[in-house]
Amino acid sequence: MDSPQPARRDPAMDPPAAAALMDELVEEVLIRVPPDDPATLVRATLVCKRWCRLIAGASFRRRFRELHPRPPMLGYLYRRRDGTDFVPTSFRLPHAVCEGWSVLDARHGRVLVVDLAELALIVWDPVTDDLRSLPTPWFPLSMGNMVLLCATANCDHRDCRGGPFLVVAAGGFGESHALADIYSSEQGTWSELITEMQHFNGRDRLGTLVRGTLVGNAIYFNYKRSTKILEYELGRQELSIIYLPSAFHSWHIVLMEADDGVLGFATVQDSKLCLWAREAGVDGHVGWAQRRVIELDKLLPVPDCNRSAPLDVYASASPPPFVVAVADGIHVIFLWAGDELFSIHLKSSRVEKIGEFISDVAVVPYMSFCTPVLDMVSTGNEGPKVDASSVSQT
Amino acid sequence: MASAGSGDEKAAAAAMITLISSDNEKFEVTEATATLSQTIRHMIEDGCTDGGVPLPNVTSKILARVIEYCKKHATAAAGEEGSSSSFSDAAFLEVDRAFLEELEEFDDAFLEVDRATLFDLILAANYLDIKGLLNLTCQKVADSVKGKTPEQIREMYNIVNDLTPEEEAEIRRETQWAFE
Repeated sequence: MDSPQPARRDPAMDPPAAAALMDELVEEVLIRVPPDDPATLVRATLVCKRWCRLIAGASFRRRFRELHPRPPMLGYLYRRRDGTDFVPTSFRLPHAVCEGWSVLDARHGRVLVVDLAELALIVWDPVTDDLRSLPTPWFPLSMGNMVLLCATANCDHRDCRGGPFLVVAAGGFGESHALADIYSSEQGTWSELITEMQHFNGRDRLGTLVRGTLVGNAIYFNYKRSTKILEYELGRQELSIIYLPSAFHSWHIVLMEADDGVLGFATVQDSKLCLWAREAGVDGHVGWAQRRVIELDKLLPVPDCNRSAPLDVYASASPPPFVVAVADGIHVIFLWAGDELFSIHLKSSRVEKIGEFISDVAVVPYMSFCTPVLDMVSTGNEGPKVDASSVSQT
Repeated sequence: MASAGSGDEKAAAAAMITLISSDNEKFEVTEATATLSQTIRHMIEDGCTDGGVPLPNVTSKILARVIEYCKKHATAAAGEEGSSSSFSDAAFLEVDRAFLEELEEFDDAFLEVDRATLFDLILAANYLDIKGLLNLTCQKVADSVKGKTPEQIREMYNIVNDLTPEEEAEIRRETQWAFE
């Protein structure tokens, strides 16, 4: 580190090499600060010029993302009737959610919101405060569900927040068909409408309390009071319908990415958290299989675990446990039980109470790296030099 | 090391490496232990280890600790190779788990050193290119700054604050959200 002692005791190395090595080792240490603790890195920029220059540098950001395979969950966005709050589980965001913004989705560091006053769609980065207004889509915003995702080909999603994005909006419209409309930031426009008529029923409505899910190269939305799932395949740009097991008709489920990257869902049945996945059987037929069952009454300190969870109860005063969201990629499930919100870490079965929960609100986990970005100008040889690219990115 | 003897002795001698610290102390280690260091592995591959390996950047005090680490972890690596594919029954998995726990305990105890020694270990791990040791020691320092104020970090690691008050104010202004 910055202690001069070890460097002085290094007679075999000439001074410039030793200086380089020391920077490298300070960086080696600081990239190991856990990504879910961004405040420590921010405070570390105030230690001295060298630490500041290193932490705010492009090399640090790159190495930090290389060492930590997935962005951490910094907290979750909590959609109320008239706005959205960010609730930190590890760190408060550099920028607050504006009044009157209703969150629809968050993925790859960015957040999709509706400005309720203007009824306008906005893609916003709470780390950089970068904001982009989208043109009005073809259909009323209240009629469907939307997903925001990175549009960079073969992206590892560690540092794509400034890159191109897509918004996939889907819904059941009118009496005759399901629709999808895609916004591409590169083109700056919404696509032609894509329709699916074959399996459509006039009463079908997409659920809006739970956001859609990205699995592989497809987006999935589930329907209310049905066993249908709407699939939009990004490559073929086609809509299709797949079905849940019939036992889950009208059941409250949350679609998710299963461990091995296939479509799955999480639900609560008889006080058990059940994880299902869509997999191919020996005959090649694709079907659903229950992968894991977690006994909730052993994990949650609430009395309601023994009740089941049909969809209509979602708005009742004293609800049974519900899955309200899944943080894909980091194996965390958000569960609503006894008016409290819990997170369950699937790998460790660790349960944490993370907040209160009021019915009729949605929870959107927010995962992102958040390393310090300094806009300050160069302050001399040892000063915190910041290259142009680091100013607008994290 | 003195010399010629029976064939067995030669084989044993061939598998041993002599490391020489900056203060000229000699350490005899097995090749398996020494090659946890990529730097020494390359020297062995290049046939540059006859007469010992001088390590002018590492004192005998630190080298002794590094060797202690490598011995323990070389045994672990050998254990893994032995048990991975050929034995998979529960008893062996149990042994593996117990061994990993023991290794963790060893690492924790190994890190119970003063900060100057910790830095010397980082420098040695870097110079000798021992990934596990570099990771272990750097992680220890990274964990130690968690939740600390800039003043506390400077004090812990004897760092002089060379930021001007203006620069400090500017950084605080830009990162205000982290201090609220």
